[in-house]
Amino acid sequence: MTKIKPFYDGLVLGGGIAGMQAALDLAGQGFEVLLVEKEPTIGGVMVGLNKVFPTLDCSSCICTPRMAEVAHHDRISVLCYTDLVRARRRNAGFEVILRKKPRYVVEEDCIGCSLCELACPYFAPHEFDQGLGARAAIYIPHGNAIPQVPVLDPDYCMLDGNCARACPKNCIDFAQQAEELSVGVGSIIVATGLRLTPMGAKKQYGGDRHANVMNPLAMERVQSSNGPYGHILRPSDGKIPRSVAYVQCAGSRDQSIGVPYCSRVCCMYALKQAIMIRHQRHDTQVTIYHMDIRAFGKGYEQFYRRAQSEGVRVVKAKVARITEVENGDLSLRVELIDEGGRVADIRHDLVVLSQGTIPGWRPEGALPLEVDDDGFFAIPDIAARPANSTAEGIFVAGVATGPKDIPDSIVEAGAAAMEAAMYLDRVRESAGEMA
Amino acid sequence: MSEPKRDWQKDLKVFRERMGGLSEEKKAWAREQRDTLKAIRQALAGGPATIPQIAERTGMPGKKVLWHVMAMKRYGKVAECGQAGDYYLYELKEGGS
Repeated sequence: MTKIKPFYDGLVLGGGIAGMQAALDLAGQGFEVLLVEKEPTIGGVMVGLNKVFPTLDCSSCICTPRMAEVAHHDRISVLCYTDLVRARRRNAGFEVILRKKPRYVVEEDCIGCSLCELACPYFAPHEFDQGLGARAAIYIPHGNAIPQVPVLDPDYCMLDGNCARACPKNCIDFAQQAEELSVGVGSIIVATGLRLTPMGAKKQYGGDRHANVMNPLAMERVQSSNGPYGHILRPSDGKIPRSVAYVQCAGSRDQSIGVPYCSRVCCMYALKQAIMIRHQRHDTQVTIYHMDIRAFGKGYEQFYRRAQSEGVRVVKAKVARITEVENGDLSLRVELIDEGGRVADIRHDLVVLSQGTIPGWRPEGALPLEVDDDGFFAIPDIAARPANSTAEGIFVAGVATGPKDIPDSIVEAGAAAMEAAMYLDRVRESAGEMA
Repeated sequence: MSEPKRDWQKDLKVFRERMGGLSEEKKAWAREQRDTLKAIRQALAGGPATIPQIAERTGMPGKKVLWHVMAMKRYGKVAECGQAGDYYLYELKEGGS
């Protein structure tokens, strides 16, 4: 396990792609960095994605080398499974209190052999597979997890000791408890990412009731070769879907659920997933129901055209409601805009709701930062200093400031690291002048 | 000087107390999972089957059957062995029960 020092130049909150990039860019300039991640592994949302748009490159193939680089960097310390309790201004920097949650496994001793996981006879919903797959009560988060150390989930542990009995290193530690740590830092970069709007947010879509209405991150896992099924199947009965629908703006641009903004990535990930379905199942029809397609980035418009040329149907329509019919199929009541607003009931056997993007974390007093009405971190000078928060010495990157795609998150992470470096230099210079 | 050897059995006792023991709810959940897996194994004893076929034989919903079959597949107790129409076939793996 990382040995934690008493002081770091930079604290990065969040080990997703933005946080990792910010940590690498700050450490690359000679600064000592502590990266804190709430989950048991770094990698964030990106490591769970199947492909990235518009290149259709393997997402984890881009993400995992960066995870390894972070984990092995001389000037980066990583603390996983750790929450920020609070950061308070102290001298020119901050005093930070962290809470490291118990894994019930001694990280230094564990060799990642998985024998504990294989010995546990109970199955729990696997978070990495959005609950569609299973994992044991003690488990390594996924094949690319860093560190490759299991975590025991007390909610599903039957306290039978099977894991400890199987462990060849005697490193299951039932005595472990949460630990509070205090460190000093010179600056903070917040890269706390995203969550999706709840599946039940739009009652008329029944995302929390119908088995075959899926969230887009679940579809990423289903499409992944290391996903829960190994194929694209629907959850109600394992059927190969022959007709898949995407409902766009199913949680964005919608005042009724408090998400009036555009989530920016949904059009592109729907097109990407639709292409991947067509690649894996040539005879499966895919229809995207949308208000308008927003293909704003480099190469995105071409990607939109590519999807259509690969047989993806893109239909300008508003979906009013989704009803479950026989065999778990779904009937969509659709207002077809290009047909003069004609209302039709169209049947599909799997539906993906393109849900809205909402902030992954709210500071609620843990950090002296202001957020906007939409919950994303406020940026006072968005046009000139887009990585600078409302507090001096605290910088923000990635979806923490608002919905954005992977390339923009990486660019912003670099900007936040540069702003933090300049801030640290200024502090050092003024300390030198005073001395 | 090396640290004293970890006594996990002693630690587990303390952990059990700290967790307030095993609740009746948790015991029932574990029992139900064992019964579900047993029913799936029995349904597959006669040979490969699709998820709807297992669901019919066990009287359990397809969603629940799929979830448990995929769990068994992940941990090497069930294997995929072909396709029947729009469904894959699954079989018990030797020594996987």
